Amino acid sequence: MTVAVPLTAEEPLKTESVSQEATLTEEGTLIELPARVRKAPRPRKSKLSGTPRFRIFVIDSGWNSVARRVLRHNFALIRRLHKGDPIYLLSRKKSTEFIRRHRSLIGRDPIIAVHDLTAMAWHGTAGFHGFHLHLGIQRTPRQALVALQAFARFLAKHRQSADLEAEVRTELRREGFQGAVEIFLHKVPRVIGG
Amino acid sequence: MDRFGEIVSVVLGALAVAYLAYEIDRRKRKLRDLFHVLGSEEADISAELADMVESGELQPYTRRARA
Repeated sequence: MTVAVPLTAEEPLKTESVSQEATLTEEGTLIELPARVRKAPRPRKSKLSGTPRFRIFVIDSGWNSVARRVLRHNFALIRRLHKGDPIYLLSRKKSTEFIRRHRSLIGRDPIIAVHDLTAMAWHGTAGFHGFHLHLGIQRTPRQALVALQAFARFLAKHRQSADLEAEVRTELRREGFQGAVEIFLHKVPRVIGG
Repeated sequence: MDRFGEIVSVVLGALAVAYLAYEIDRRKRKLRDLFHVLGSEEADISAELADMVESGELQPYTRRARA
């Protein structure tokens, strides 16, 4: 589409359409306008904003368990909550092969393995380098859901932590202490269930 | 008779304390099993997962592509 812009134009284009304006102006410079005004494309944000702190692996060989169903139902939310960290899903076949090589994991899956990249950059896998959430050991949907929520909360809360190991141990001690208090008060402990 | 009552009370109290200690310990162990901290003992497990990523065998999950 072409329009003519008058050389002496002092008035800005008002409410007339572009085609009307083009016919009204006899003399002027022709400039090309696109048929449809397009907005400049917005730069697409990377899925992983910033430097990832964790690598998250989901290992699930496919036991027909309540934990598996809870994880599947809430996976999208977990993913949205932890957009900054890559999540690697091992297929059922890969998970089974992996667990077969590491037999201590049998019956504990679905497992969410979290690698602390900061700790691993510092000393590899020699010392503390993350943790596993053994969701498969939970027996009820509520226990599994509460554990998953605690996991999501912990990761979000301690993403910037300088010493994740200390934070994990402190949190476990706190949970243990609260569990003891809840036993005294005859309440169901929050994470580990009855 | 009073003496017998005292003994029963002490024994019951001791049993209650022992049960509490056992229950707290059991739950602590369960919690540590649920949130298992990775150390040098799990180095081979973690190294294998890291290798799978480095070699490109595993790709980060996206809606379109699954590992």
